[in-house]
This record gives sequence, structure tokens and C-alpha cells, in this order.
Amino acid sequence: MITFEGAGKRHPDGTIAVEGLDLEVPTGRITVLVGPSGCGKTTLLRMVNRMVEPTSGRVLLDGTDVAQLEPAKLRRGIGYVIQQAGLFPHRKVIDNIATVPYLLGWDRKEARARAAELLELVGLAPETAKRYPFQLSGGQQQRVGVARALAADPPVLLMDEPFSAVDPVVRAGLQEELLRLQSELHKTVLFVTHDIEEAVRLGDQVVVLREHGRIAQLADPHTLLTTPADDGVAAFLGRDRGLRGLGLRPASAVALRPVGDGLRYGGWELALDDAGRPIGWIDRTAVSAELHPAAGFRPETDTLRTALDAVVLSPAGVAVALDGDGRATGTASRDAILAALTPTGATAVGGIDANADESSDTNVGTGPDANAGAKADAKTTVSTRKALAADGTGEAGTTDRVGGPEGSDGGR
Amino acid sequence: MDDEPIVRWYWIGDHLGYLGNLLADHAVIALLPVLIGLLLAVPLGLACARFPRLYQPLSAVFNIVYALPSLAVFVVLIPYTGLATQATVMIPLTFYALAVLLPTTVDGLHAVPDSVRQAATAMGYGPWHRLTTVELPAAVPYLIAGLRVAAVSSISLASVGALVGRGGLGYLFVDGFQRTFPTPIVAGIVLIAVLALAVDLLLVGARRLLAPWAVREKGAGS
Ligand SMILES: Nc1ncnc2c1ncn2[C@@H]1O[C@H](COP(=O)(O)OP(=O)(O)OP(=O)(O)O)[C@@H](O)[C@H]1O
Ligand SMILES: [Mg+2]
Repeated sequence: MITFEGAGKRHPDGTIAVEGLDLEVPTGRITVLVGPSGCGKTTLLRMVNRMVEPTSGRVLLDGTDVAQLEPAKLRRGIGYVIQQAGLFPHRKVIDNIATVPYLLGWDRKEARARAAELLELVGLAPETAKRYPFQLSGGQQQRVGVARALAADPPVLLMDEPFSAVDPVVRAGLQEELLRLQSELHKTVLFVTHDIEEAVRLGDQVVVLREHGRIAQLADPHTLLTTPADDGVAAFLGRDRGLRGLGLRPASAVALRPVGDGLRYGGWELALDDAGRPIGWIDRTAVSAELHPAAGFRPETDTLRTALDAVVLSPAGVAVALDGDGRATGTASRDAILAALTPTGATAVGGIDANADESSDTNVGTGPDANAGAKADAKTTVSTRKALAADGTGEAGTTDRVGGPEGSDGGR
Repeated sequence: MDDEPIVRWYWIGDHLGYLGNLLADHAVIALLPVLIGLLLAVPLGLACARFPRLYQPLSAVFNIVYALPSLAVFVVLIPYTGLATQATVMIPLTFYALAVLLPTTVDGLHAVPDSVRQAATAMGYGPWHRLTTVELPAAVPYLIAGLRVAAVSSISLASVGALVGRGGLGYLFVDGFQRTFPTPIVAGIVLIAVLALAVDLLLVGARRLLAPWAVREKGAGS
């Protein structure tokens, strides 16, 4: 656990970067710091590994004041990932990843073996090992940066806008990868971003900061989106925070109408192929048998936001639920989805809980929630997260395929 | 020189051994100072990168030295080093090399992106450790670019040393001029150009070998 106790930083020129901050960063969880530029996020992060020394208060790491620890030793136990990756240009990827093991005096072979393991863990092809950083795409460099930070298996990870320099598609892949890693590794992560979308997607808890590192709100993502502490936070969250919140809730909450109960909705009928995969909607009232695309969602892995999107896209106003092979398992009308959207609806809550319990056995390490009131919400987040991560393997693969040829053509 | 041809080939044929000796002499007089300059520039550059206040005064001193006419410096040194000794020529050349190499070293050390420096610090590198294992290797392309400039200008400057008795190939110019005989002059020019080209190619090769990660012409011309 990282504890900030009245931590403050006043620069010699009189600038106050952070003032009297109290914050607990729980072990094994992702805590996201979000806030406008210049509000002191980087300063806070660097107080943990002593790249910035607080001018007031203190920072504790598992109860020990970091000021009492030798900086080099402290830092080798804390992974640090930054926006520009900061890879050593003159070292091959494998040696970049092995940097901290080398510093810790590991045997060269051992360090490289560990680096190769990490390369795979962050989803990079083994042949990447022998490349130099300039031969990688931005997204691949960021993955190497994450691998390097994890090389000596530090319990704490500091990440300063690690994904802001890559394009949105790559960023989404990296975020999913991070969640997948975290579900295996359970690091204590302090993550800085100024993208609220990223904050609610990644955070177990989100800290909204305003100038001088003052906490405007500390909450789990769902609470943050549904009940912002004040107008300032609400404005920061943006107008579509309600819709964003749907992205945190699993689509399994939607009550489905089984395929066997019929595929007709008014004048529209869903056509399936022999394997049971949807081909499209047919307008029975029209003369032609033209097919209209059928939008679908996967209740096991998608969020309510995707389900709602599918309903909006469908000409019949009906979303098709699909299984892993793309076969229709049922349909959900606009009403069914709206019912699931209502957070207080008994059906919705029941649906969420059933799903969370089903899948919780594969997710032991996340531990119990401190706050009983937030329990249902937290569970929702966890199961959605897992679902996203599972889905993400596919997307991450795509990202790599995009990155691969770009990287292999060398001398850009 | 009117009816004298530009080149009398028989003279060159008769003096191959002599020309070879002058070439070797020239290479030593010109390049040893560059090597010594490099060995001084690296620690001085590291010190300047570590303590930025050093850089201003040091670079001012070397700039002034660089501005001095080489012949004047040779003449001033004669009372201390003696006429026709290699030191008379090599001491000033060392300073000229240093004047080129110190700024390129410091530039190279500074050229490492801030993110790289911060990442290194965050992984537990101390300032010296980081300078020698991260910034210095990353500055190699700059160092080599500096060496190319320093070596070529040193090869050219060394010929002036012939006027004070030691100048390797420069002696051919003095000789040819005094005898109104252009062949040695032409031979000298060609050999100096060949030497400069060979050294330059060698350095380009060294860069490929030592910094395969620097595909672009980093720091060239600086
Ligand atoms: N070395 C310094 N000297 C003086 N002021 C500084 C220094 N470093 C940071 N500051 C100031 O401290 C404040 C907080 O800076 P910090 O880098 O922590 O912000 P941030 O939240 O990370 O911003 P961003 O989102 O733009 O990265 C800013 O107002 C900045 O100008
Ligand atoms: Mg910052």
C-alpha cells in the first residue's frame, strides 16, 4: 500500500505543485489519478519513487517512509512507465527489458530468459527481441516499456500517461492488455491519465484531482459516473457520463428472448443460416426480400453500451445476442435493453450478480471489497473487466498484425 | 612553370618509398592528436554534462584556441618544443581536435531524449552510472560525426607544420614551390585527399559497427 500523508511539493521558484495530499493506494489494485494538465499528477507519482522529494508531509510504502530508503534500491522495486516509453535507443529490445535484472546483478542468461518471458507476456512476437527500439511502432514500444517495468517483478507500478501517445485503436489494445496482466499479476498500480474514459475503464478506484493536487472526488468508476461529487467533477466527466457508465456494466444483464420463441418483431423477421448465425433482417411488409444488417452483441463478453448500440443500429429495434461462434442465442428488444439499463431494476441487479458469481472462481486474487455498499458495483466492474480482457486478446492480436509489417520494414 | 608539365610520372615512380614515408608520417602527425583529443574530450564532456557550469568556460577557452592561426601557434611553440619536433605540430592539433570534439561530445550526451534519461533514473541509475552506460553509448553517432570533422581538418592542417620542419606530406608543397616543380605538389594534394577519404570511410564503417541502431545521420555536421 502507498500512503500519502499530507504530502506537498513547493518548487524553489514558489510554484505549488501539490499541497497537503492524503491518499491511500490499496495493494493489488489499480488507482487512477485523473485531472487537468498541471494539477500535479506527475509530481504525485514521482514522490513515490523519490524522483520528487516532498517539501511537506511524507509518502509511505507499506508503512515505511520512502525518504528513509536509498533511492536506487527503492526505484529498482518500483516499475515506472512513461508516455514516451523512454527505451534505450542503443540497446536491443531484449536488453532493454532486462535492464533492471542486469542492474540487480542477475546472471546475463537468466536476465535474458526473464526478458523473453515478459516479451511474450506483453504480447510481442519473439523475433522482436533482437530489434532496436527505432524499429518498433509506438504501440510496440509502449509494450516493451511495460515489459521493462515488470522485469524484476516489482510489487508497485507507476504509470504516467503510458498510453496517451498512441492512436485510439492501439490504446484500447494496450488498456485491455494491462487489465489482462493485472488480473494475473495483482500489482499495486498508480496510473496517471487525463482521459476520463481511460480512468473509468482501468481504475478500481479513480481519484479526480484539481489544481495543487487537491482531491475533488475519490470513488470507484461506477459511483464516479453516476454520482459525481459536485458540478466541477460532473463537468470534467463530460455530458455522456451516463452512456460511459454503461460501458462498465455487462450485457449479460439483458433478459433475452430465446431463439425458439420466434424471430418476428412486427413486420421484421430475423433470418438465420443453417448454423444459426444471423444473416439479416427481412422486412415482411415490403415487396423485396432485401436483407438489412443485423447488429449483435455477446452477452458474456460485451457491455450494456454495446447492447444499446446494437439496438440503435438495428432496423427492427432488436439486438441479436450471439455466442462465441457467432450463432444467435436470443434476441433483445429495445424494451428489454432499457429495462436492463435501469440501475435499480431488480432484474438488472439479479442478472449482474448471477454473472459475477459464475465467473468469480477464475478471479480469486482481486480480494474482498472494503466497502460493502460498493460491492455489487465492484463485482460488476470486475466481471466486465474480465470479459473485456478476454475479448481483448482478439483485438490485441489485430493490433499486432497492424504493428508487425510496420515494424519489419525497418529503416523508417 | 610555363613549360613544366603538371605531373612528371617518372618522378613519382622514382620516389614511391619516399612518398610512402611522408604519408605515414603525415597520418601519425595528423591523427594521433585526434585520438588524444578524443581521449580528453570524453571525460571532459562527461564532466560538462554532469556539471553544466563547466561547459561555458571550457568551450570558450577551446573556441579561442581554435580561432588562433595555426602557423602562429607553431612558431610560438618552437622555443619550448624545438624546431622540427613532432610535438610542435601535434600539440596545437590536439587542441584543435579537442575544440571540435568537446562540443560534439556534450551535444551527443544532451541529445538523449529526456524520457530516456527519466526512465533510467526511475530504474535506479545514479547520475554517473547513467552518463556512462546510457548517455555515452547513445552519443556515439555524435562522437563519430565529430571525429570525421576533426580528422579531416587535422589532416589538412598538419601540412602547415612543414613550414616549421615537420609536416609529413606538407613537405612536398614546400619542396615543389621552392623548386618550381609542380609534380610533388600534385602528389601531395592527391595523397592528402586519399588519406582524408580513407579515414572518413573508416569512421563511417566504425559507426555502422558501433551504432547499428542509428540509421539516420545523427548529428552529422554538428
Ligand atoms: N521543476 C519545477 N519547477 C517549478 N514548477 C514546476 C516544476 N515541475 C512542475 N512544476 C509545476 O508544478 C505543477 C504540477 O506539475 P505536474 O507535472 O505534476 O503536472 P501534471 O498534472 O502531471 O500535468 P500534465 O497533465 O500536463 O502532465 C505545474 O503547475 C508545473 O508547472
Ligand atoms: Mg504529467
